[in-house]
Amino acid sequence: MNAEFIQNLPTAEQAIARLRELGMPRRNNELWSFFPVAKIPTPEFMGTDFAAAPMTSPAATPANQESDFAALLPIANNARPMIREIVPGAAEMAMLKCNNDFGHTVLDIGKGAKVSLEILDNKVSHDIAAERFDINVGEDADVEIFFANPACDLPLRFRHFNISQAAGANVRFSSICKDTAIGRVSVECHLKGEGANFDYRSLHVLDGEASQHSRLTIYHEAPRTTSTQLARNLLSGSARVSYDGSVIVGYDCTGVNSSQLVNTILLSEDASVSVKPVLKIYHDDVECTHGNTVGELDAEQMFYLVSRGIPQKAAQEMLMRSFAQETFLPLPDSPAKKRLMSSL
Amino acid sequence: MLSIKNLKASIEDGTQILKGINLEVKPGEVHAIMGPNGSGKSTLSKVIAGHPAYHVDGGSVELDGKNLLEMEINERANSGLFISTQYPTEIPGVNNVEFLKMALNSKRAFLGQPEMSDEDFKKLCEEKMNLLEMDERYRERGVNDGMSGGEKKRNEILQMAILDPKVSFLDETDSGLDIDALRIVANGINHIMSPEKAVILVTHYQRLLDYIKPTYVHVLRHGKIILSGGPELALKLEDQGYDWIEEAK
Repeated sequence: MNAEFIQNLPTAEQAIARLRELGMPRRNNELWSFFPVAKIPTPEFMGTDFAAAPMTSPAATPANQESDFAALLPIANNARPMIREIVPGAAEMAMLKCNNDFGHTVLDIGKGAKVSLEILDNKVSHDIAAERFDINVGEDADVEIFFANPACDLPLRFRHFNISQAAGANVRFSSICKDTAIGRVSVECHLKGEGANFDYRSLHVLDGEASQHSRLTIYHEAPRTTSTQLARNLLSGSARVSYDGSVIVGYDCTGVNSSQLVNTILLSEDASVSVKPVLKIYHDDVECTHGNTVGELDAEQMFYLVSRGIPQKAAQEMLMRSFAQETFLPLPDSPAKKRLMSSL
Repeated sequence: MLSIKNLKASIEDGTQILKGINLEVKPGEVHAIMGPNGSGKSTLSKVIAGHPAYHVDGGSVELDGKNLLEMEINERANSGLFISTQYPTEIPGVNNVEFLKMALNSKRAFLGQPEMSDEDFKKLCEEKMNLLEMDERYRERGVNDGMSGGEKKRNEILQMAILDPKVSFLDETDSGLDIDALRIVANGINHIMSPEKAVILVTHYQRLLDYIKPTYVHVLRHGKIILSGGPELALKLEDQGYDWIEEAK
């Protein structure tokens, strides 16, 4: 087990203290600028411990580094961490399902291990759920993390992933979200070892009043690390997606390659998307790109399909499905690809 | 079969492209439409198909007595019209075979016929692909996705072969084809053609008409058919161009 990684996790007391210091999320806070924060309940839902807790102690704690309310929430709510070590060289397929509103999973994946990890919806009995995942990926390990859960109508759901990758480690993070309410997936990925690669693919298919926020921060902390972000959105009704994608390339991190692309198709007048790419680059020899497209279904493609006799609605569905499938087509054949493609 | 009367159509800014087209196409006939660039040939095919970029200002287009202009785009196709455009649209992610099957079954549903079984469709597809000397890769590819110009045209004729339309309007099907591909595609069209069907070919060159013998050749210029004749007209146009027609008037 990577002791340093475990030691750096905040305790419940530290998390509560830090939460009190941070206060409730506000729209004028950069981390929450796109999120409908008014829907987040007041701190009372966390019980009397919260009100009685001291402000952050002067001593530096792991929680002091944390600025994300959603990342602290499960720990502050005494979510008992499920700590699991996957030994070097192991090959594992696993499904994770938390049996509580608040969940905390810690995975330490050994060198050269191959892991396929599907995250199922947690069992929820209240109006708010938050899960936190701390995942340490050893050298040359190959990991896929994915979720394609059935549409969830939980009023408020947070998922936070804190991923640390050693040299040559490869992580593919893929998700499909069809939730009908408000949610946020935040990912903080530290590419600490040379040649580490992080591949992020997400698809939102939203309708009604759904509002989903993706927040990614990828830290390239070693040379020749690579990252890819591809987010695709199909939005109807008054659905809204916001995407905050940050890439930070450290000093002396030569040969870094990073790309970010967000493609959105708006299927109604009231659907909307907000995209905020942030690139902070502290080294010259890197290649970082970002792009964003927003549009409707391609009129010429629609015409082509319909002119072959296919009804308008079926043609529209064909184009939407192809747009969705393209998100995951480049993935290697794996349980993740099979599961994601079959759920479309 | 297909009767176009005084068809006028314009684009969004009001510019009229078709200024009164008249054309009668009977079963078993092959009509070749020739004309300089910008004369309205491609517009004619798109207007008949119902492309939303064009506004019909007047006239009628009837297929077996039914006014196509009053039908939805898919209904026109399912009634027996097939339009192959000059630049077939690429649709990555939509599988060629799934698309073909969906199109065929849409037509069958429109005609009140049962859906074709997977097995029967596979056989049909195989037969038509053999006819057009297409390899198996086409099955796995997206519709026209990443295909060369020639491959796209061959794929269009595959669609035509499977959908089995009454009237096919093929816009510059010969462009982008090498000599062998031209022969294969032309043979495919001839094979699909029957005394109950008709084909309208838009082309700039005689070479396609060497393989597919036209019944009539028409010259379209400035949005109107200004001259019609037999196959010899195409040879004369190939030899002398279009200016002599205006001069002769």
